[in-house]
Amino acid sequence: MNAGRGILAVAGFPLRRLLAPQRVILAALGAAFPAGVMLAVRRIAGDLDRDFAVVLLYALVPEALCMLGLLVTMCPAVADELERGTWQHVSVRPGGRRSLLLGTFLAAVTWTAAVALFALALALLAAGLPGSGRLAAVFAALIVVSCVGRAALFSLPAVIVPKRALVASVAAAFVVEYLAGFLPAVVNQLTVSLRLRSLLVRWMGWERALPAELQLLIDTQPTWVHIMAVVALASVMLFAAGVILARRQFPPAEEA
Amino acid sequence: MIEADGLTKHFRAADGTVVKAVDGVSFAVSAGEMVGLLGANGVGKTTTMRLLATLLKPTAGTARIDGCDITTDPLGVRRRLGYLSATTGVPDRLTPREVLVSFGRLYGLEPAALAERVPHLLHVLGLEACAGRPCGRLSTGQRQRVSLGRALVHDPPALVLDEPTSGLDIVGARDLLDLLERLRGEGRSILVSTHRLHEIERRCDRFLIIDAGRIVAAGSREEMAAAPGGLEGAFFAAVEPGAAR
Repeated sequence: MNAGRGILAVAGFPLRRLLAPQRVILAALGAAFPAGVMLAVRRIAGDLDRDFAVVLLYALVPEALCMLGLLVTMCPAVADELERGTWQHVSVRPGGRRSLLLGTFLAAVTWTAAVALFALALALLAAGLPGSGRLAAVFAALIVVSCVGRAALFSLPAVIVPKRALVASVAAAFVVEYLAGFLPAVVNQLTVSLRLRSLLVRWMGWERALPAELQLLIDTQPTWVHIMAVVALASVMLFAAGVILARRQFPPAEEA
Repeated sequence: MIEADGLTKHFRAADGTVVKAVDGVSFAVSAGEMVGLLGANGVGKTTTMRLLATLLKPTAGTARIDGCDITTDPLGVRRRLGYLSATTGVPDRLTPREVLVSFGRLYGLEPAALAERVPHLLHVLGLEACAGRPCGRLSTGQRQRVSLGRALVHDPPALVLDEPTSGLDIVGARDLLDLLERLRGEGRSILVSTHRLHEIERRCDRFLIIDAGRIVAAGSREEMAAAPGGLEGAFFAAVEPGAAR
């Protein structure tokens, strides 16, 4: 109960910053981008093929937009507090470092998911696809899974190399999510991207229609296995980040 | 009570050399006592305070805050210590009331306790008039008071204050030091660091002079005042023993 209150209290710090007018305008522009792409494609190609539109929407929202949103919100978890001089005040509280990590995680997931859901609504309107209600439900679930998994992934660079977290997170995204995630080997089981692709294929009912070579890029396990895998991955990464953060020491000269 | 016992902290510099930021520092601050930790910039004041606040782990030695050891019971220390740094570090978009409530929640204070404690602190700190204004729009002095309120929100018996008057004008500094005297009167142990000797020479009960990570002189206010040149003379005699003044 107390820990929950502390996490919510810390989540309020980055959320307030994210609600600044400039940030809101930037987020709105980012949210409009997938809809803009949909409109442009429709303008060029006429009515969109449903499957193509779904794949495009997947690449734009749960992948690109969520990834970008989380890079902006999760990476500065520690660096921002060090720069603003709030790190020492938060971390000197009992459970303060844990609250900082989980509070920032909560804020990053909430903010990015909200922007992505708004983007999804705009993009579906722009695409003008039949059965948009079901698509909205599928993509809303994918957005949540993507945000939880990737925010946890980015928490590690944020605590290991706070001042280089953005660069390290981009590298982690490419190496873990887009290199290891596409390898047809056991290692891809440890990535969020495999789970997201597999959930999309399952929820869209594409399993049988998928060509054999693309079957290698998905996992046909039931939905609950994928969800539990992302929850487990996120828990392990957040736990590791918490342990690292609890041991971090920043000499006074390093904080400037 | 604040007790340091052989407190030592070494850092490894980028070129591999070992920097002795704090080197075997020992002292005690009793309940109801305000002690000034004096030293130039970069001599180990902030590192000493961060060791006491459990932000850094000592290389050797230890310290106790109200009986809790910083190495074996850091959580106990954090519950009993109010820490204020030279940088106010208050979130710009939060109001003083929100800052105190947020940090009170971090200490696990119940809503009922916060509802009582926060208005009391706003009153004591003279922040009632600006309690609803974002901290980014407050003066440096008001922000420092918010920062002090944040250190006091859980009613700690010990305070470690790193250059609390940094950035304050003469009136702001006086008001803040008046407040610290009142807190001392409530029986709290207060360790306050500064390099602005004139501000605290009549405020503290005792002084510790630190140089190159070591306590090079210590004495009561009366002893320091009796030294040639007063506190300033005692300070320079301690940190520049070869220099004739």
